[in-house]
Order: sequence, then C-alpha cells, then structure tokens
Amino acid sequence: MKPIKSMADLEAAKARGLSKLVPATTRISVGMGTCGIGNGADLLFAALEKAAAKAAGKNGMAPVLKKVGCFGFCAAEPLLTLAVPGKPVLLFTKADAKDAAAFVEAASDPKALDKLAKKADGKIETWDFRTSVLRFGEGFPEVRSWNQIPFFEGQEKVVLRDAGIIDPEDVEEYLGAGGYGALAKAVLSMKPADVILEVDRAGLRGRGGAGFPTARKWKMMADRPGPEKWVVCNADEGDPGAYMNRNEIESDPHALVEGMILGAYAMGANKGFVYVRAEYPLAVDRLRKALDDARALGFLGKNILGTDFSFDLEIVMGAGAFVCGEETALTSSAEGKAGRPVPRPPFPAEKGFKGLPTNINNVETWCNVPAIVSKGGAWFAGIGLPKSTGTKVFSLVGKVNNTGLVELPLGTKLEKMVYGMGGGAGMNKAIRAVQSGGPSGGCIPADKFDATIDYESLASIGAIMGSGGMVVMDQDNCMVDVARYFVSFTAAESCGKCAPCREGLSQMLRILTDVSKGTATYADLDELERLARTIRDSALCGLGQTAANPVLTTLKYFREEYERHIRDKRCDAGTCEQLFCALCENSCPMHMNIPGYLALLKEGRLEEAYELTLRDNPLPGTIGRICHFHCSMRCRRETLDDPVQQGEIHRYLADTVRKMGREQAVWKRLADEKAKPTGKKVAIVGSGPAGLAAAFYLVRLGHEVTIYEDKEKAGGILRYGIPAYRLPKDELDHELQLFSKLGIKFVFRTRVGRDIALADLAKKADAVLVCVGAEGDKALAIPGEDLQGVHPGYEYLDLHAAKKAPKTGRRVLVIGGGNVAIDAARTLYRMDKDVVVAYRRTRADMPANRAEIEGAEEEGIRFRFMLAPQEILGDGKGRVRAVRFEIMKAGPIDRSGRPTPVSTGHFEDIPCDDVIVAVGEKVDSGDFVKDGIKAAKDGRILANPFTLKTDLPNVWATGDAVTGPATAAEAMGDAKRVAREMDKALTGEDRFTTLFRDFHYNMEVPVEPEGSRKNRPRHLPPDQRVGNFIEINLGYDGDQAISEARRCLRCDVRPDARSPWR
Amino acid sequence: MDKSDPRTGLQGIVQRYAGRPGALLGILEEAQQADEHKYLSEEALRQIADMTDTPLSRVYSVATFYSFFNLKPQGKHAIVVCRGTACHTRGSLALLLEAANRLGFPEFREDEEPSFTTEDRMFTVRTVACFGQCALAPVVAVDGVIYSHMNTARLLSILETLRKGVRK
Repeated sequence: MKPIKSMADLEAAKARGLSKLVPATTRISVGMGTCGIGNGADLLFAALEKAAAKAAGKNGMAPVLKKVGCFGFCAAEPLLTLAVPGKPVLLFTKADAKDAAAFVEAASDPKALDKLAKKADGKIETWDFRTSVLRFGEGFPEVRSWNQIPFFEGQEKVVLRDAGIIDPEDVEEYLGAGGYGALAKAVLSMKPADVILEVDRAGLRGRGGAGFPTARKWKMMADRPGPEKWVVCNADEGDPGAYMNRNEIESDPHALVEGMILGAYAMGANKGFVYVRAEYPLAVDRLRKALDDARALGFLGKNILGTDFSFDLEIVMGAGAFVCGEETALTSSAEGKAGRPVPRPPFPAEKGFKGLPTNINNVETWCNVPAIVSKGGAWFAGIGLPKSTGTKVFSLVGKVNNTGLVELPLGTKLEKMVYGMGGGAGMNKAIRAVQSGGPSGGCIPADKFDATIDYESLASIGAIMGSGGMVVMDQDNCMVDVARYFVSFTAAESCGKCAPCREGLSQMLRILTDVSKGTATYADLDELERLARTIRDSALCGLGQTAANPVLTTLKYFREEYERHIRDKRCDAGTCEQLFCALCENSCPMHMNIPGYLALLKEGRLEEAYELTLRDNPLPGTIGRICHFHCSMRCRRETLDDPVQQGEIHRYLADTVRKMGREQAVWKRLADEKAKPTGKKVAIVGSGPAGLAAAFYLVRLGHEVTIYEDKEKAGGILRYGIPAYRLPKDELDHELQLFSKLGIKFVFRTRVGRDIALADLAKKADAVLVCVGAEGDKALAIPGEDLQGVHPGYEYLDLHAAKKAPKTGRRVLVIGGGNVAIDAARTLYRMDKDVVVAYRRTRADMPANRAEIEGAEEEGIRFRFMLAPQEILGDGKGRVRAVRFEIMKAGPIDRSGRPTPVSTGHFEDIPCDDVIVAVGEKVDSGDFVKDGIKAAKDGRILANPFTLKTDLPNVWATGDAVTGPATAAEAMGDAKRVAREMDKALTGEDRFTTLFRDFHYNMEVPVEPEGSRKNRPRHLPPDQRVGNFIEINLGYDGDQAISEARRCLRCDVRPDARSPWR
Repeated sequence: MDKSDPRTGLQGIVQRYAGRPGALLGILEEAQQADEHKYLSEEALRQIADMTDTPLSRVYSVATFYSFFNLKPQGKHAIVVCRGTACHTRGSLALLLEAANRLGFPEFREDEEPSFTTEDRMFTVRTVACFGQCALAPVVAVDGVIYSHMNTARLLSILETLRKGVRK
C-alpha cells in the first residue's frame, strides 16, 4: 500500500475499491461478525470456498468470496449476499452450508440464478453509503426490497452504512464506499472550527447514553491549549445486553478511525486511543488491522495527506470492569490504575488522561462524524427529531423473535421497534416490558410502548436511552428478579470509592434478595425506594447515580408484583426459585404438587398419589381431560426433549383409582377430617370450576356452603360448554359426588340477580362469592346478525348440552378461532353436518388448543383462513344464506404477537344454512352492578387483586368474572386464593394450610434423565367419531403412566424448594 | 512461561508496552495469556512490579480490580457462562448451576465466588458480564468458542465430549 498524498491518489484508491464492491464477476459475501460465526457462518464460508474451487476447476467461473461485517439481522444469520454484475444484490437469510453449491452455481448460470432468487429474502438495487451512493442494478421484480423485510422496515442505516456490505479488513473497500473522503475534505479544505460547526449544525449528541451535545464537548477541548492533547474512543461496552459497539467495530472499523481523526483535527489533538473490551477479540483484531492500514496509507501518523496535521492512534484493552465506561475511570484505567472515577469538574477536556486535555466519545458518536462532515450537518439534523437528531443503533434482544441490531431514526415509537422490527414474541407469551439502557436504565411496561425513542421521552418515563441495549421481557421474566439482577451487577461492579454506591447498592441488593425469597416486608419496600433515591442523588459517578433506575422503574410500574412476593410469597413468572417447589407446580394455577404425585405413582402408591392430587385439585379426572396444561409449558424436561405430560397422569390416577373402587376411601378421609363448624354461612354464585373449587375448600374449613346455580345441574362450562367427546358427563357427575359428601348444598334453577337479589343473599349469608364465569357471547357487530340461523357459539354449545339445540341445515359455517369455535365445529361434525371454520387470521394464530385444532382437521373439518366477516347475507325471507368475507393478508405484528389481518379489497361469499358466531366471550355482570358491585366497561367485576374482595362489605368475586375469559384451571386457582382470603376474613386466622398434608416419597434426582419422548395416549380413530359423542382420548395405560412419570427431572429436589401450600 | 522467549517472556512483554497508554493492563493481560495455567502468579506480579518500576501494591490493586485477571491457576478447559441481561432473561443462571452441579460444585453460588476449578484442573467454570452475543442468547464459551442458543442438553453433551477427550 502506497501512502495517499493527494486527492488524485485518493480517487485512484477509491476506484480500486469500487471495482471490488461491484466486481466484473459475481461476488458472494457472508456476514462474519461474531454473531454470524456463532451461527455457522464460518462453516458456510468454508463450504462456499470448496464449491467455488470445484467450479473454478470445472469451467474457470468462480465467484469472488468475501467475508463482510454484520448486516444486523442476527436472528436470521448466517446472512449471505449474492451480487451478480448488473443485477440487484440478493440477500439470503439463514443461508445454509448445504446450499453452497447452489449459490456458486447461480453465480454463473442465469437460470440457476432466477431459481435461487425465489428464495431470496430481499434485494438491494441501490445502496446509500452516505459518503457515496452505489447502484448495483435493477431486476428480480418478484423479490422485495431489503427495507421491506419487516425487520428492516423503518430502519435508517447511517452508523451501520457500511456494515455487511464492505469487507471490514479491506481498507480499499472502505475507500470505495467513499471512506476517508470526509477526512480529505476536512484537512484539505476546512478549518478545524468549521468541522466543529458542522457537528454543531448536525445536533449530534453523545451516543454513550447521556446525550451531551458533542459539538459543545469538542469546543471545550478545542479551546484548551497544549502541545499534547488526546482523543479517546470509549469502546468499553460493558452494558450487559448491548453489543452495538462490538458490531460497529467488527463491521466497519475505519468509520471509527476516520471519525476519530476528524475529531482530532477539529480539536487539535495529536494522540489518541481506543479503549476496547478484552471480551471482544475479533473487534480488537479488526481494529488493529484498520490502524495498520490507515497508517500505511498515511491517514494516521505524521503529516496526514501531506498537511502539517499529525495524529496517531493506539488500542488499550480493558480488562472487565463496568465502571471503566465512566470517562474519568476510563482514563485512570488507561493510566495503569484501578478504574476509579474522580469528581468532575475538572472535566477531561481540562484535565484528562495523564492530566492532559482529553476528549472521550462513544464508538457510535465517532462513527457518525464522517457522514456528517461528508453530507453536512443540516442533512443529519433532518433525520429524527429537532432535539434528538440522527439515528441510534439498538441491540434488540431478549424475548423477541427478530433479535438483532436495529438502527432507527430517533423519534420512532417503541411499539414499532418491538412489534414491527422485532416481530413480537409470538402469541403464546405476552411481552411485559422492555429494559432500555441496561443497569443504568429502566423497565418500560408494555402499556407505555407508544412512547417515542429519544433522549427526553425515555427519561420522562424513568428509563434512559443509554448506549442502546433493549432487552425485551415476557411473562416468564420476573420484574423483581430483573431489578435484583441489575443491582447485583452494579453492586459487584461498584468501584467502592463512594459510600452511597458501595454501601447503598449492597443494602438494596439485600432487600431485593429478601423480596425474591419472600422474606421481605412492606416496610422494606419503602426503605428500598428511599435508598434508591438517596443513591441517585448522592453517588459520585454515573454508575451509582443511575444504578437505582431499574429498581425505581420496576417499583413504579410493577409494584403489584413486588407485593405478590411479599404478601403471597409467590413469583408468578417462575423466576424466584425459593418461592416454589418446581416450575410445573408454579405454572399450575392451582399450584398442584406435580413432582409429588409423579413420585408416588413411580413408587406404585396410587391411592396416595390420587389423594395428593385431590387435595390440590378437587376435580382431577375432569381437569386432567380438558386442562390447558400450564404445567407442560414450563417443564424443564422440554430443554432435553419434550415436556412431561403431567395432566395426562393425574387423569390416569383419577380414572384408575375409580376403577379400583378406592376413591370412596379417600373421599371419606376428606369428609372425616372436616374442620369443626364455624357457624359461618357462605353463599356461592355459580357452580362452574371456580365456584366448585372455592366451595370444596371453604366447606372443609367448616363453613356452611351453599351454591346457587341458574341451571339444572352443577358444572358450569364443564357441563354446558365443553362437549362430551372431550369430557364425558359421567366423569363430571362422578367427581361431583364428593361435593355432596362434603356437605355442600346446591340450589339449582335459581339465578342470583333475577330470582334472588345479591343484596338479599349478602344479608342472609356471612360471605358471598360471585363466580359467574364469562358466558356472554361477543357479537360480530356486522349487518345480518339478527337473521334466522345465526347462533352465538357459547349459547349453541350450552343449548346442545341441555339437549335443546336448534336444528341446523346441512352446511354450517363456524366463525372464530378459539376453543368455543372448535368445540362447536366438532359437535356439529358429530351430527353429520358439513362444517367449515372461517377465521380472520392464520392457522398458527388460532387461540384454540393445538390438540383440538389437529383433532378437528383429523376429522375432516375444513378450515378457511384470513377471512374477515363483513356481512351475513339473507335469503330475502329472513334466513341466512351466506356470509360475505373480506379476504385478508398478513400485516405487521400487533400487540397480541400475531400479524394484523389487513384488508385486500377482495371479497368472497361462503354459502351456508347456519352460522355459528364464536368470536369470544364476555362477563355478564349487569345483574350485580344493579346491586352495587363495581365492574369494568367490558363487564369484569372489580375486586382487590390480592384479597379478591369487591367494594361491598361481605362480597368477594373470583374466576372469569374478575379476570375475563380464562382457563378452567386459572379460575380454580383464583378460587383457591379467594377461599383462603374469605376464611381469613371470616375467622381471623389463616387456616388454609391445614387442608393439605405431607406425603413422603423418594427425594432423589435421577442420575441420568430417564425415559424417552412423549408417551401418547390411545385415541378413538376419526372414522368412529361420527354420530356419537364418545370420548376421543382414551388415556394412558399403566405402563405408559409410569414410564411418563419417570421422565420427571425432579426440580423439586432442592434444599430451598418451597412447598406449594404452606 | 518461557522467559527466554523475547515475545512471550515477561521482559519482552514489558518492553513492548513501555510508555504506551494502558501499559500495565496490556502487560498483565499478555502475561496471563502466556502462562500455562492462564493466571498471574505472585511471582509474576512481583516481577512485573519490578520491571515496570511500579509499586507492587498498585500492580496487585489492578490485578484484583479487573475481572479479567485470574489469581488462581485455571483448568485446562474454560467454560464461561455469559451472565448478560439477554442471557439472564433466557435462563443462563440455570446453565451455570447445571455446569456447577455436573462438575461437582452443587453448592456453587455466583454471588459468593466468581469461578471454580475442578480439583484435577481440567475444568474452570466462570462467568462473564456480557459477551455481546445477545442475539444468540443464552451463550456459553467453551475454550474460547462461543456456543449459541445453549440449553441443558447441549451443555451436557459438550461437557461429556470434553471429559472423554480428557480420558484419552
């Protein structure tokens, strides 16, 4: 490499670079950042090399292979781009080494190229390097532009302008993209003060997180005289959960180098260093090479570009101390001391590294500078918001589908980033929060996602922009644990110099640890908040001043979750291990001791296993058939193969003990041990899962319990909603016998609110519990719903169960995608109807249980997706004849984690004789509101989240009536809570734990995981399901049940495991 | 450490860093890297203090301040579990405890001891604040190679492979 001494030299080098970026032969580039390599990019590259060598040997036509930086879409790595001369660059995501030959073949074979193009995820016709624009070519009309890929839509690449396009180790490619042009422009034609003016016009603010105006900082330094002045790059990206700076250096080291040289020129500095983390070896290597090349070309060293400006740069490797991201600690560290901050002023501009004037900026700040100098500050100020100009790179990670680096104009909404670019987290897990800014930042709850991303907006909600870490959290992440995690990090990283940070953080950690163990008090929470504010106001440096942010924001937005740990000793997210016995138990809304009954079954102690399940769940046979199986969703066995089928096993226990005729003995035991009568009367409204469960516990505690039920029999949704092929009514009737044996009284055909006023009931009883469920059908609110032959879904199932269902024609159209829709469809199928289910989203987006959808398909029920009902069409005589749908297409991901159905303007009429509308249920609380109960707009009854008490003096509410439509198990879990609370209120004691007893069983963890994948229970073949309602799932046999129980990994065997009921 | 080798010998390392910013950190990093057991012995610290004309107290204060430096001999295989935020939210604590459990440290608590080495000096398990591989979380580095989307099954199979390699 010859030094560049003139514009002519620079132009010549640029031309050489351009000929590499747009070569005469095809160029295949693979993203080889650390992420890419971690996802197999190195294997892909090796396979490409092999295939290329083979092709070269055959016909001499081999593509150029290049290792480039990262294009940002980390979740879709390895990323490969294919640039055929004259054509747009094709972008392939998740490129596989197996396809290496196909990529190489496409390089020289137009037919193969066209075929391969169909698999491309996007194309690049023109690329704006900001420092120049490159046109690759036009074509491939069927392939979308790269920025139409949801992950990139709305992104704007200024800092990452070269990343993933150029070879970071080839300085000529950087020159080809217009690199070092800004430097030449500045040193050859601008005064140093003009460079600062341009940065000032741009409105650039520090990208390390605090957002101090860069030009002002530069001016302070420029004004300091002195023969030795330093510019420093802070690349000590210690913020856990953030890796923008790593990628910026790995993908485009020269942008940083050029930015620093420009800064040095503007501020009159002659020496500099980059302080970079030792944990980033690849970044260090590439930066080292970049410095060598820049030096060889004369961009660094003496008399840069033939002028009298001299400057050189070195690398300092950090050694793993978060506090060194603080600028005064960083300079101490570079001086060979422990990295402890000193008070400012004096600012580094006055007295920095070795006491000399020093300017320190973040990697990203520096990387923006060449683009600003090249295109002018006004251009930069035109991006983003007036006070927060330009773009910012964020590492979007955590519980989100599209993880990666997103660069967006400041002012973009959080929602757009999390759901649009990030693609949400799918429909099975709800996103709860985003943690912005790492240990110095805050947790932003999902209901604040309409906030914009800029310095002021994020600060106003208690978070900070920070260096750019955005960690998405879902329902499995405990907010207390998040706060504890960050405080344990900052407490460990505190340099120890000032007392507020050193002592305060460790005291905060102690309290947070107590909360996570369930040993904290409400007073501790006040203390925690006081400490947090004190540390914020009195710590010496940024580490301490901001360390309380995660605590303050979680306390502000998730206080109820802290209280749940303190009051109920529960961690619903299943993170704080000392608050549960096993994850399955914690996920079970009823907190069944699942490992316990599995262990007892393994030992052949069936009766005890049954007794254990029964104490935890009064309807083990029923719920074992129809549960949503929350337990299986968090089973640790899933990380090895498949979750244990816990629910299938408690159903097996109930069925088998019944077959053996041994359940009566267990029931008798429960009846015999009933507590002495308390003389208190409890009236329960509704005999669904919640009402039954609450009655079971309250009667055993000695209260006199009466259940009021509108219908003729007990069970609610279990009897009148869920069809018999899922839950035979004989099974339910059998389990209900226990309720009578325990002395629960039922008053049927009596609707509270109509036949008896709630107020009268409240006068007669000591306590009233309302658990009416969510049985009101939601309407579609479209024309024609009042036509004959249109049936609300839940109402139809209800009438069917009571054998009063209206007769339907042959062709029935079911509208909806939930369990009610599928239940109705499968019910009608059994009556030999021709059933079509129409749903407005895709199959994957259906909220119904997977097994139910698969079962319906197995039976031959037809599904039509992406159809949104517009109108129900009549035959002119008042009867339905068809439904008009608009055909939808998948749009951006919405807050439910699913693609929004978007109009296409195309319509389709589906003829039918009857329509079942099953688009959701709601709580019908009108009758109770008349009597003074408060309810939300959608009908849900308002109750205290902890005591579940309503505003009326002796009325409680629980189950769907409070939560809205939920699963039977969830309603029963809430019923257990309310039973405990009501008993406490009635007796003044907490006697709930007396209802459970200890079982002793083997407490050894299997040395090696036992058993194989899922034991599948036998099913009734589909062709035997028409014309009858015989149960489909025939359950486990004995061998299957034991073999399945052996698969349990025994997460409950821990010294700190907590019994589910205590 | 081969002290006669001008590149890896302490004298060589110290000379290369003389007068440069961040010299002491660089010297300690290279000296640790050059050591057979990847640690800084008391002797090495004393020599570095002498050669750089720095008080031993300061060398010691630097060596103990930064998490990168090991003052105890390390195992042949290093298993480094990332404890960054993204990895934490995706279950890295469970991986760490699993590794500890498998290697005979069932009582291991991260907040008490940052790392442990098996008695036969075959394995060292430690944590890192963040590898910056957040999109691939959770990640574990085994002998410097980063494994992404780690789960218990993969971790166990890697430990098993290493153990077999050790037996040979």
